[in-house]
Amino acid sequence: MNDLCADIGYRSLFKYGEQLCGDHVEIVEQDDNSSVIVLADGLGSGVKANILSSLTAKIISTMMAENMKIEECVSAIAQTLPVCSVRGVAYSTFTIMRIINNEEAEIFQYDNPHVILLRDGANLEIPKTQINIDGKTIYRSRIKLKENDVFILMSDGAIHAGVGITHNFGWERPDIISYMETFYSVGFTAKTLTTILLDECYRLYGGMPGDDTTICTVRIRKREPMSLMIGPPSNSNDCDKMMSLFFSKEGKHIVCGGTTSSIAAKYLGKKLVPVLDYPDPAIPPIATIEGVDLVTEGVITINKVLEYAKDHIGENINYSKWSCGRDGASMIARLLFEEATDINFFVGRAVNPAHQNPDLPISFNIKMRLVDELADCLTKMGKRIKVSYF
Amino acid sequence: MKITICIGSSCHVKGSRQVLEKLQALIAENNIGDKIELSGTFCVGQCQKGVCVLIDEEVYSVSPETVEEFFNNSVLPNLK
Repeated sequence: MNDLCADIGYRSLFKYGEQLCGDHVEIVEQDDNSSVIVLADGLGSGVKANILSSLTAKIISTMMAENMKIEECVSAIAQTLPVCSVRGVAYSTFTIMRIINNEEAEIFQYDNPHVILLRDGANLEIPKTQINIDGKTIYRSRIKLKENDVFILMSDGAIHAGVGITHNFGWERPDIISYMETFYSVGFTAKTLTTILLDECYRLYGGMPGDDTTICTVRIRKREPMSLMIGPPSNSNDCDKMMSLFFSKEGKHIVCGGTTSSIAAKYLGKKLVPVLDYPDPAIPPIATIEGVDLVTEGVITINKVLEYAKDHIGENINYSKWSCGRDGASMIARLLFEEATDINFFVGRAVNPAHQNPDLPISFNIKMRLVDELADCLTKMGKRIKVSYF
Repeated sequence: MKITICIGSSCHVKGSRQVLEKLQALIAENNIGDKIELSGTFCVGQCQKGVCVLIDEEVYSVSPETVEEFFNNSVLPNLK
């Protein structure tokens, strides 16, 4: 065992004019430290391709996660996929990446562009052996993982970007490698790296992708624990218990809410100093307490963080806002989405009497729901979440 | 004189930022920046009065519309 984990982020561009994507990414977690990622690209586009790739990705990921052999997976697909009436074949290319104990990766590739590995900032060609299964040539690799490794899985839409528009022969694999090498050392998350590459493909296609294009980035990183506390405990006698549990956790500490931060300041015997500065007029100012990494207002700030979280797992268009914003919500977003891998939520269930005014857009139920929804979004980002109520 | 503005959730919704900005402008206009210490605080527990503004320890209820009135009636006369 080691303290590494895999940060996985993927997204697709749809072929211009199509409402469905013919590529499909499926991730199955075998256990806490092992997972199987499958990126499949179905023949053609639209509904047919969508069905072929979904079936392929689902079948392979499920079988691989049950530790079945690659040979069995491939023949299962060959026997299952519906045959295209136009072309007379059943066909979907695939890339399988199996992460074992966060120590090793096993990669199987069939007809997709080969997986790119950036290690220590430079491209490293992954050694491959060729195997034949039912007449299909499949490349197999096994490689030890290292911290900061970035694996880029892609469908052929990526290397065809710009054919005949901005490039004569498309954007080839070496071009993608040198483009992505420039972003390696910044420390972007997998999702952001995916977005950067996909945006460039979209630009090369002139905004009209000629093929479904999918990127899945896997970044190997160290685990980073973090704790966030919001709300005072329902029984005020539990304050000390909640505080001592919270502050005994490893990693950074975020405290949200006015009353909550007063309690934290009192527990630590330090002063709570609000900062009268509004980098984002909609978000209340942050504050400082010595010994706490970030102190913010509660519901309004968390509501904004939730909005950013929902966008981040989807379109990721607000990234430019929170990636450099100095307001409380942007700061929490950066800590939770980019830095943390394991997040402990300490949620106090006290009802704030001040918030019972029916004129206010704040209610106890909203507060509880916000945390639940945020925890859901973070789980979808691949974080390990634990929520404790007080 | 110490003026403290509540920036808790409830007061924020009711416009503490506008109150703060108007107060800062009024203080600058009257050239009394050296006599007033402006600061913020999280919830003072009197949200129904929001936006809560404290002069020393006393709580006043101010809204973005009544800042000027507050300034003329409660701040200026009490300046030493």
